[in-house]
Amino acid sequence: MCGISGIMHKKSKANGLAPIGRDLVKMLDSLAHRGTDSTGFTVAGEAFAEDLILRIWTDGKDSEEGVLARVSEAIGRRGGVVGTSQTWGGFLRLTVNYEGDVKALAEALLDTDGVEIHSIGRSSETVKDVGTATEMDQTHSVSGIMGTHGIGHVRMATESIVDIGHAHPFWAYPFPDVTVVHNGQLTNYHSMKRKYEGFGHHFQTHNDSELIAVYLADKLANGDTLDSALHASLEDLDGTFTYLVSTDNGMGYAKDRWSAKPLVLMETDDVVALASEEVALRSVFSEEIDRVEPQENEVMTWSV
Amino acid sequence: MVSLDAAELTTRELNTRLKELAEAGTDITVINPRAHHNIAVGILSPCKITIEGSVGYYSASLLDGPEVTIDGNAGWALGENLMSGRISLSRSAGASLAASMRGGEIYIGGSAGARAGISMKGGTLLIQGDAGFLAGFMMQKGRIIVCGDVGEAVGDSMYEGTIYVGGSYGSLGNDAKVEEITEDELIVLWDYLERNAISEKPKFTKIISAKRLYHYDSLERLEKVVV
Repeated sequence: MCGISGIMHKKSKANGLAPIGRDLVKMLDSLAHRGTDSTGFTVAGEAFAEDLILRIWTDGKDSEEGVLARVSEAIGRRGGVVGTSQTWGGFLRLTVNYEGDVKALAEALLDTDGVEIHSIGRSSETVKDVGTATEMDQTHSVSGIMGTHGIGHVRMATESIVDIGHAHPFWAYPFPDVTVVHNGQLTNYHSMKRKYEGFGHHFQTHNDSELIAVYLADKLANGDTLDSALHASLEDLDGTFTYLVSTDNGMGYAKDRWSAKPLVLMETDDVVALASEEVALRSVFSEEIDRVEPQENEVMTWSV
Repeated sequence: MVSLDAAELTTRELNTRLKELAEAGTDITVINPRAHHNIAVGILSPCKITIEGSVGYYSASLLDGPEVTIDGNAGWALGENLMSGRISLSRSAGASLAASMRGGEIYIGGSAGARAGISMKGGTLLIQGDAGFLAGFMMQKGRIIVCGDVGEAVGDSMYEGTIYVGGSYGSLGNDAKVEEITEDELIVLWDYLERNAISEKPKFTKIISAKRLYHYDSLERLEKVVV
């Protein structure tokens, strides 16, 4: 079991950013019974300058200052300039002025000892940690993050180890702003992973959900729309899955042919919200809501 | 009439109170259910329970006797293993609605998710809207009436029982077949709809088991000697 949720304020780009972080904390807190191993969020659509946002985690063998110095040096080698930087408890958040290929930047960072990349994006960032949503909010101040949309996950680990790196969302290395949260198990993970490694893609973890992120980003990079990439995944991915994807300006879900993993959806003119259970929708919408339960082989996407 | 606030009680406390009040024959209203799971479970006495709002998984399950009215949606497996009584839901239900239901009635004002009436063993499940994929999966007895459309693989591997579909259906499941519906059956169904305040009179399609998967001659070796 795992819990997933997503929310998009459809008019927030024009009318002002919405409290996506706060909404996701509430929704995931109400889904805590579906998993307490780890929690994670992606908030997208933040009003950043042209800089990249990097979310990095270090293994704690070196001091934060030491890691920051080495990371800044690696970024500098690729021609990037670190703007702002924050460090706390092994987590680093940097803004970087960088015009080059994000893959080159990501590779330089991974060559730095003890560094794991949680996300690189121009309009989104991913925060993940072990523990519950409320605990995460205390450590990472997620509630304060405003955006247009976001996705989140509470994890009950089944297929790979419990640590911060294996928490969702999974960033689609090295594609900016593409992240995925997933409830389910992929049975063709190893063969698909080998295939995508053959295409030159890099996987940071041994978690099957990371494959979905890389798979979708590869499709998007090759000209697919978010909608067509999600539809293709229904054929290409095997197993049980309900997953949500967030991009710089879009959000969507796909549900497998067995309809084995839950999802409920509510949509108004202003907002669309998705979650494993209605209890999460109830945590942010107090009024009576008409919600639908997406069926097997279904895909839907939204954009801001 | 007693009112219980689900926001102020744990699920266990709520169900314990419900059971005590039901045994005393008291009618109960539950407020603030907030789509929480396992609300109104394991109540074995006739009484009236009104739930003002949505409920989560396995709500109103393991019941024998109560009449439960829910004004909202329900999560997965509403009314699981209902023995007798009635459950009425104003909006939509999740997957595995009425799983292993054995008697009584369940009415859904909205639509149902996948596998509605899975392994149903009796009673009547009435869905005013649509039902999802694998409706009536491995059904053994009873009837499912869907006024709207039904998804793929309807009646897959059903043994007995009847599924009536008012709208269209995606496909028949393994070993399910369509049988011509009689005028008398239609009159019975329309009367049932009317009693549930549904004025439409759909020309139902009747789906039953083709029984090609039956292998009841496979007796144990020793039994065959006796025969």
